[in-house]
Amino acid sequence: MHIPDNYLSPQTCAVMAAAMVPAWIVSVKKVKKEIPKEKLPLMGVAAAFSFISMMFNIPIPGGTTGHAVGGTLIALLLGPYAACISVSVALLLQALIFGDGGVLSFGANCFNMAFVLPFVGYAVATFISSRQKKKGKHILGAAVGSYLGINAAALCAAIEFGIQPMLFRDTAGKAMYCPYGLNISLPAMLIGHLTLFGLAEVVFTVGVLLFVQKTSPNLRTDQHRSETTQTPLPLRILLGALVVLTPLGLLAEGTAWGEWGENEIAAAGAGFTPSGMTSGLHYGALLPDYSVAGLPEWFGYMLSAVIGVAALIIIFKLISSAHRSPVAES
Amino acid sequence: MHFISRLMENDAQPKPSKILPALRIFVCILCILLCALAKNAFFVVAVIAVELLRLALQTPNMIRQVLKPVLTAVFFTALFLLPAVFLGSPRTMSTVTLKVFESVLVLSMMNATMTWKEVTDAFRALHAPQIFVFVLDMAVRFLVILGRYSNAILEAVSLRSVGKTNWKTSQTGGILGTTFLKSQQMSQETSEAMACRCFDGEYKSYASRRFCTLDLIYLLLIPALIALFFYSEWMMK
Repeated sequence: MHIPDNYLSPQTCAVMAAAMVPAWIVSVKKVKKEIPKEKLPLMGVAAAFSFISMMFNIPIPGGTTGHAVGGTLIALLLGPYAACISVSVALLLQALIFGDGGVLSFGANCFNMAFVLPFVGYAVATFISSRQKKKGKHILGAAVGSYLGINAAALCAAIEFGIQPMLFRDTAGKAMYCPYGLNISLPAMLIGHLTLFGLAEVVFTVGVLLFVQKTSPNLRTDQHRSETTQTPLPLRILLGALVVLTPLGLLAEGTAWGEWGENEIAAAGAGFTPSGMTSGLHYGALLPDYSVAGLPEWFGYMLSAVIGVAALIIIFKLISSAHRSPVAES
Repeated sequence: MHFISRLMENDAQPKPSKILPALRIFVCILCILLCALAKNAFFVVAVIAVELLRLALQTPNMIRQVLKPVLTAVFFTALFLLPAVFLGSPRTMSTVTLKVFESVLVLSMMNATMTWKEVTDAFRALHAPQIFVFVLDMAVRFLVILGRYSNAILEAVSLRSVGKTNWKTSQTGGILGTTFLKSQQMSQETSEAMACRCFDGEYKSYASRRFCTLDLIYLLLIPALIALFFYSEWMMK
C-alpha cells in the first residue's frame, strides 16, 4: 500500500499532503492534551509495532504481496490521534531511510494508512463494542474494525492510483503517472485486502491486543492515570521476537501491486514506462528496500528492522522529554 | 560551566556497570578502529543498529545527552564533505558521515554510561602509565571541586552587587584569578596529604573486582566483532 514516488502526479501529492496537514495539527493538539508525557514513549513502541508489521509481506496468487499496518491496533491502545502520529512517523522513516513509499507521495500514504485506517478502524471497533453485550466484544470490534480499516485505506489508495490516467496524459494520450485506471486498480487493490491482507491485519491486531490485555492490562490510555509508564517487559520481548522473525517477510516473492520500480512497470502489464516516472523524482534512500548492497537479504532485512524500531522509540522518547505533561499542568 | 555541571551530575549519581570498565573501553576502541578500517557500509551499519538499540533502552534525558554531540558531529561532517557531492563522488560524503556517526555514537554512549571513576579505573586496568592515570584523575576531581568553588564565588558576588553588571567583562577575571590561587593552595594541600598517607606513586584501584561470567560473555564480543568485520570484508569483495 506504500505508494512510491512518480505513481501519483505532483498535483495529487500536494492535495493529499494539504489534506493531511489539519489531521496532523489536530492529532498533535489532542495527543498533547490527552496523553501524559510519561506515556509518549509508548507511541514509539506502537509505531515500532506498525513498522514491523509492515515488514511481514504476505504473498497472494498472481505474484503480488501485501502486509498488515497495525493502525487500528494503535488506535485501540492509545487513541486514533496517537495512531495518526505514530503511523505517520513510521511512514516517514520508511520513506527517508528505507525507500519504502515515496517522499513526494508521503502525504498520500499518510492519508491512507495514518488517517483513514486508524480512524475508520477505531470508529467501527468502538461502535461494535458499545452495541454488543457479550463478553469479548472488544475483540470482535477490534477484528471487524481492523478489517474494515485496512480495506478503507486500500480503497483510498486504489482511487488515488485509478484517477491518474483520467487526469494526467501526455500529448500522445499515454498516462504520465500510474497507467492503470479505476477498472484495474480497484479490484487489484481490494481483492488482496478483502482476503489475505485484511485477514493478516485482523490476526495482527487481535493477536497483539489479546497479548497486551493478558500481560499488561494497564497499557490502554483510558487507564492513563495508572502507574504503567514504561513499556512492559512482555511487550518488549514480543517486539524483539518480531524483529528476529522479520526475515520471514522475505519469503513472499514479487512486488506489491502499485509498488513496482521504474524498470519493472513495463513488464508488470503496462507495456510502457510512463513519462512522469522517467523524468520524476528519484530519491536515493540510505538502505533501499530494507537491504544493504552485497549482503544476504535476510541479514539486511533484520538490521533494517532493528534500526527502524530503535529510531522510532528514540524519536518518541525525545518528543516526550520536550513535551509538558497535561497531568503536570493541571 | 556546562561541562562542570555535567561532571558534577556524573559524580553525584554513579551508576556502576556490571561489566569491567576496562573491557568496555577496549570494545569501544575496537569498534571505532574496525569501522575506520571497514571498506563497506555493512560493518558500520551493523554497529549503528546495535548502538541505536542500546540507546533506545535509555531514558529520554540520556538519549538527548548522547545524541547532542553525535548530531553536531554529523552535521559538520556532512557540511565539510558537501563539496564532494558537487565534485562527483557523493558516496564519499555518505561513507564518511556514516563512519563519523558510528564513532561518535559509540564514544558518546560510553561517556553517558560510564562514570569518571570507572574511566580512570579502566585506564589503570589497561596498564596506562601511572602518571597519565594520576593526572587524568586529579584533573577530573579538581575540575569538579574548582567548578563548585568558582560557582560559589559567582553566587556570592552576584548577591552582593546592586544593579545590572556585565559579568563577562568586569568580574570574570577576578573570579578566575581567585580560583587559580585557590587551586595552587589546594594542590599544595593535596600533595602534603598524599605524603602523609605514604603515597608512593602507585595508583591502585580499590574498586576493581574479580572477572565474572558477565565479563566473559562481554569478552566474547571481541572475537565476534573481529569475525563480523572479516566476514563483511569477505562478503563485499
